[in-house]
Amino acid sequence: MRIKRAGSSVVEADMTPMIDMTFQLIAFFMIVTNFEQTQADERVKLPADQLARPPLVPREDELVLNIGFIRNAQGEKVDPDPFVFLGDENVRVLDYGPYLKQERQVAELKHGDGAHKNMTVVIRADSEVPTGLVQELIKLAQEAGFEKFAFKAKSDEEPG
Amino acid sequence: MKIRRGSGEESGKVDIQMAPMIDVVFQLLIFFMLTLKIVAPEGDFNINMPIGSAAAASDEPPPLDIKVRLLANPDGTLGQVVFGNRPLGNDVPACFDRLNLEIVGLVGSGGGFADDMSVEIDADYNLHYAYTIKAISACTGRIDPVTQQPVRYIEKIKLAPPRRPGEE
Repeated sequence: MRIKRAGSSVVEADMTPMIDMTFQLIAFFMIVTNFEQTQADERVKLPADQLARPPLVPREDELVLNIGFIRNAQGEKVDPDPFVFLGDENVRVLDYGPYLKQERQVAELKHGDGAHKNMTVVIRADSEVPTGLVQELIKLAQEAGFEKFAFKAKSDEEPG
Repeated sequence: MKIRRGSGEESGKVDIQMAPMIDVVFQLLIFFMLTLKIVAPEGDFNINMPIGSAAAASDEPPPLDIKVRLLANPDGTLGQVVFGNRPLGNDVPACFDRLNLEIVGLVGSGGGFADDMSVEIDADYNLHYAYTIKAISACTGRIDPVTQQPVRYIEKIKLAPPRRPGEE
């Protein structure tokens, strides 16, 4: 007996809506993903305040200093003293003066004499860092010739 | 005349291979999903830090200085907020709300922006930085409860020289 082939038995799924959705998702993740090279350090747990708003005009030149504690996996402080995080290197706050002078030299080499005066020193300090040490760091920065300062805080404060 | 479809015409239809495209698209999707990191937005406060006595050389009259003293407990928590000579307590966040009200009283009930006023925050050496930020925020302005937009009072905030332990 001869069996006739049934050509129309294969049902083709319409892929168009799925592809549309997938591209929508890709577009969403591409927009949300932050590729910007921020100088933020995850070890610093910033204080939160509702009034802290990002500057309307992004600063052209800034020097970000991350100050925080070295903590273990449980979040306990390994050392009671805070450090300035400089890449993989951790420098005690009061020993940071020479590094600031170096930053000034780099700024002058890159943008000419007096460039450091237009540079804002942005301080990202952990909530538990003693205020006195932040002031000491500002003093060291002033000695190195920097004049503009800003404090960073998270702007999404939980109520209560 | 009836035209019969020949087998040659059927083979002329090109089928797009969707499988590789879908593979790549899913790869991209997984990449973006894994690299997604939601970072909390950060804002900042500008701080004026006059160097030594250089500010006194200007002909302009010096701005009216409001002094806010922040006392710390030995463990670095807030001991007392003192506005001028008046203690405002240490019950966070109510004490900073009181400080904010005092500033509003000075600036004017109209919520005006005071350009000729500056606040000097004098904090104890070991006071946690978070309280200093709260004090700076309370002096700078407030969030309007109706519009949820920030209302600025004083922009000129400075820090007093550090009070090193044993120097007081």
